[in-house]
Amino acid sequence: MTTVAMKKTGSIKRSRTIGRSGLSVALVAACVLMLIPFMWMVSIAFTPPEQAFGEVGLIPSDPTLENFSTALHDANLLTALRNSAIVAVIVVALNCVLAILAGYAFAMLPFRGSGAVFWALVATTAVPSSVTIIPQFLMTRAIPLAGGNDILGNGGSGLLDTIAGLALPHLVSAMNIFLARQYFQSASVEMAEAARIDGAGEWRIFSRIYLPLAKPLVAVVGIFAFTAVWDDFLWPLVITTSRESQTVQLALASFRSDGIVQYGPLMAGAVLVSLPVIAIFLMYQRGFISGLTEGSVKG
Amino acid sequence: MMSTTLRATAPPRPAGAAQNGGRRGPRRSPSSHIRMTGWLFVAPAAVYVGVFHLFPVLYGLVLSFTDYSPISRAAPDFLGLDNYAVIFADPEFLNALRVTGTYVLMVLPPLVIGGLLLAILINRPFFGVGFVRAALYIPYIISLTAVSLIWLWMYSQSGFFNQFLDAFGLPEQRWLLESTTALPAAAAMRIWTALGSNMVLLLAGLQSVPKELYEAAHMDGAGRWGQFLHVTLPGIRPVLTFVVAMDIIWIAQGFAEVFVLTRGGPLGSTTTVNYLIWTEAFQYNQMGSASAMAFVLFACIMVFALITVRSMSGRNSR
Amino acid sequence: MDVLRSRRFRTAAAGLSLTALALTGCSGSQGGESDALTVWFPGTNPAEVELMTDTIVPAFEEKTGVPVEVTYLDYADLSTKLNAAFAAGNAPDIFGHGPAAVSDFVINERIEPLDDYVAAMPESDQQDLADAFTGGQVDGSQYLIPLSIQSAVLAYDRSDLREAGLDDELDVGSWEELLEVADRLTVRDGDRVDRAGLLLPSASPGNQQTFLTLLASAGGQLISDDGQRSAFNTPEGLAALEYFVDTYQGDSAVGNNLGAQWTDSPATQQPLLLDQAAMAIMPTFRVSSLLDADPEFEVAVAPPLPLGDSEEGRYLGGAGPGLMISADARDKDLAWDFIEYLLTPEISSQYVEGIGAIPARKSAVDTPYVADDPLMSDYVSLIPDYVPNPSVPGWIVARDSMAAILEQALNAQLTPQEALDQMQVEVDDALAQARG
Repeated sequence: MTTVAMKKTGSIKRSRTIGRSGLSVALVAACVLMLIPFMWMVSIAFTPPEQAFGEVGLIPSDPTLENFSTALHDANLLTALRNSAIVAVIVVALNCVLAILAGYAFAMLPFRGSGAVFWALVATTAVPSSVTIIPQFLMTRAIPLAGGNDILGNGGSGLLDTIAGLALPHLVSAMNIFLARQYFQSASVEMAEAARIDGAGEWRIFSRIYLPLAKPLVAVVGIFAFTAVWDDFLWPLVITTSRESQTVQLALASFRSDGIVQYGPLMAGAVLVSLPVIAIFLMYQRGFISGLTEGSVKG
Repeated sequence: MMSTTLRATAPPRPAGAAQNGGRRGPRRSPSSHIRMTGWLFVAPAAVYVGVFHLFPVLYGLVLSFTDYSPISRAAPDFLGLDNYAVIFADPEFLNALRVTGTYVLMVLPPLVIGGLLLAILINRPFFGVGFVRAALYIPYIISLTAVSLIWLWMYSQSGFFNQFLDAFGLPEQRWLLESTTALPAAAAMRIWTALGSNMVLLLAGLQSVPKELYEAAHMDGAGRWGQFLHVTLPGIRPVLTFVVAMDIIWIAQGFAEVFVLTRGGPLGSTTTVNYLIWTEAFQYNQMGSASAMAFVLFACIMVFALITVRSMSGRNSR
Repeated sequence: MDVLRSRRFRTAAAGLSLTALALTGCSGSQGGESDALTVWFPGTNPAEVELMTDTIVPAFEEKTGVPVEVTYLDYADLSTKLNAAFAAGNAPDIFGHGPAAVSDFVINERIEPLDDYVAAMPESDQQDLADAFTGGQVDGSQYLIPLSIQSAVLAYDRSDLREAGLDDELDVGSWEELLEVADRLTVRDGDRVDRAGLLLPSASPGNQQTFLTLLASAGGQLISDDGQRSAFNTPEGLAALEYFVDTYQGDSAVGNNLGAQWTDSPATQQPLLLDQAAMAIMPTFRVSSLLDADPEFEVAVAPPLPLGDSEEGRYLGGAGPGLMISADARDKDLAWDFIEYLLTPEISSQYVEGIGAIPARKSAVDTPYVADDPLMSDYVSLIPDYVPNPSVPGWIVARDSMAAILEQALNAQLTPQEALDQMQVEVDDALAQARG
């Protein structure tokens, strides 16, 4: 029996090591495949503008930094980065608070009609923005007491061309509410019930018991909220008029004019613009406990 | 009673235990308190979404019964169901519905399965795991304007994919130019873009499965596959449900990749409903009929999303 | 990480955000109606932006004392933004677009007719700008002030001609003769065309423009003179479409890459440079851009050729994007002053040079920009032979329908006559619907 057991352990160990290195190879392959277009972007970013797409290989034969300086200068990129960053901070904070709170309540604190309310909220994500953008634009313009408007929202320009206006459609995303609800649906109610019996209020139960255990959820909501703001093009296009209010995608779009695309500066700008998101991601993804407390999940 | 996960690891309460621990005293109806707090917690988000998203949707619905054109000075005329009648008789719209449905079927399975595989692969601690996750997430966050130009080139006659085929002596493909390959080509780009987000979501889901369950399964003799079937899948069920529903909702509204890669061609083989909607709304200034199309799409999306959530939620949902 | 989780931080963050929201909202840009002149300029090219920001706007502001607020947009994005602005009633004083969209603005009374302003210009200026101005007229009235002229011409690779034993200066008298030359320049591999002898744009909407070029070269026209119905379903139309389809279908096809949108490709990926084509119809700025990518490349422009019984050939060309004055602009005289300033010779030439377009002014032919550049001189000398797309209400819908049907014809899913019949129905429909 012992020999069999030892034999078994030996082969398990071996197959585990092979399995592990096989998975590592798969992972590296996946990374490379996923990054190929990005590598081409970086390559073009360093290629002189007239030679864009003319290179045979990934390494440009005549690398240059001029695209980056063009991007920063011509596209007003620093201002755009600042604007997008401010909007992103607002949106991430509000989503992490309000969307998660609402999702928690839908999952753990049912009330009459909560199902209908929930689905009504989620349904708003299934309507293309081409249809909602004009009503949203009209509403943004008519925000009372903003931008010179009177109490009825007339006379001025509301929140058009402002940071607040840029943030307005993203403050709380129904998708994040949906996600939070799903995440908390698998939570056990016993802890809440026990805490209630001990006299704890709902807020305490949420913030002291459930929220600390939902680190991955907060990380994901934060990442998604940030990305939504960063990648938004249509809304900033419609509500901004001054260069001072531009966001990053609009700034990048300035390299595409009348069918002529300035590939070099565009790619350089796109690379620059993706760096903050990567940084945010790296920061937030630490909320995914890297298995240090969980131990190694087999496989 | 601090557990490290949200999941139930403590034994369930014995049946028959008194609800409030046998304590006497002023009767507090737990359910009404819960209900009120639930409502309170939901209110800020719900009010915001209701005002700024639901109201515009309803506004759009009303517009779908009119001939509203933003460029026109005249007030819109009420048309009843005319817009809907016209689009259902329009072969272009019916084709777009078919294209959209096909597109969802092409993108969804690889996206979900691929996302799950990647999530499993990166759910381990190893040196540099953060960078690997970031690398896999990058496609999702790079500017679509820029990266779609790269994909255009990759699919071009002398682009990356044909060079690759050439190296193996295989014939070139007219990727975006043939009606048989154009939609799969657009689907490939969409999958590439969205894998990162699915991966991140499923990673969060995987993280919520307590390792004790894996250990218990291992002790019961379950191998890797058995653990996956009996611990992982049920454990990530709610998040997986979300991923599938969210993917259906987003993919069915596919527009950006079509706009850049193919402009709806060749021969209408990549014209999705959202592409038609955008053209109708902003090129032809017909917001009324664009709205009607949008709500037909909306109905289809919601039906499939609801079916998905219902069927995938199982008995454990609240 | 834990600090981000703490309730206090979250409450503070939420509170701060809401405050920020409120503050930034209130401290937003214009409070109420400002008296600035608002301009939505069609073009985001850094050269254009620099010209406007550094030269035009400061000069104008100094002269009139009125602030000018300019928003730069690619005119593909303009429609979306304009629609929202029209819906909300806050359209800018001046906005730009391409000629194709002008009639839709006119029929909806969104823009101001500019005939009086134009008539008040010095006679010499009116003459100088006449070529550009015609493209901005609807029903004989001036609505759009084009800032440049744009066209698509037949360009060819001299070295390919030499290689085939021909003179490197193309000398043919008709499209039919050109086809014979194209056949000699075509490099085939089995039934695949490796190098196209003649590459005509086949992707939407370029295919409609190619059709117009051939149709006009055959002596036909797209729309009736009153602008109310189609006029291309004629022998000339058939000849034009048959010619077009024959370059792609059949054993002696001379075209390749059917359906590809190569006119928008980067210079290094252009078929002429990659030796995937010997002759091609391309926008003029693309032709010039070939030299940016490869200064050694020998490209030349062919004169327009007649088709069939016609005597004169034509190229698609005419007014480029320009500016219009909103019907709701508060101070239309001021708006006109701004536009007129853009038309002055110095500013106009700086503008077209910045974007590489054909000058709007005839007198620009003597400037170094034209005189020192053989290609630009060619483009300018061809101006009398340019024919534009129609400028009638419903044109955009009509054009898109034509492009879709042409695509089917080019793929041999319809015979040329069937295609013409279908296009006639669709175009007549679109024009009738737009007139209401």
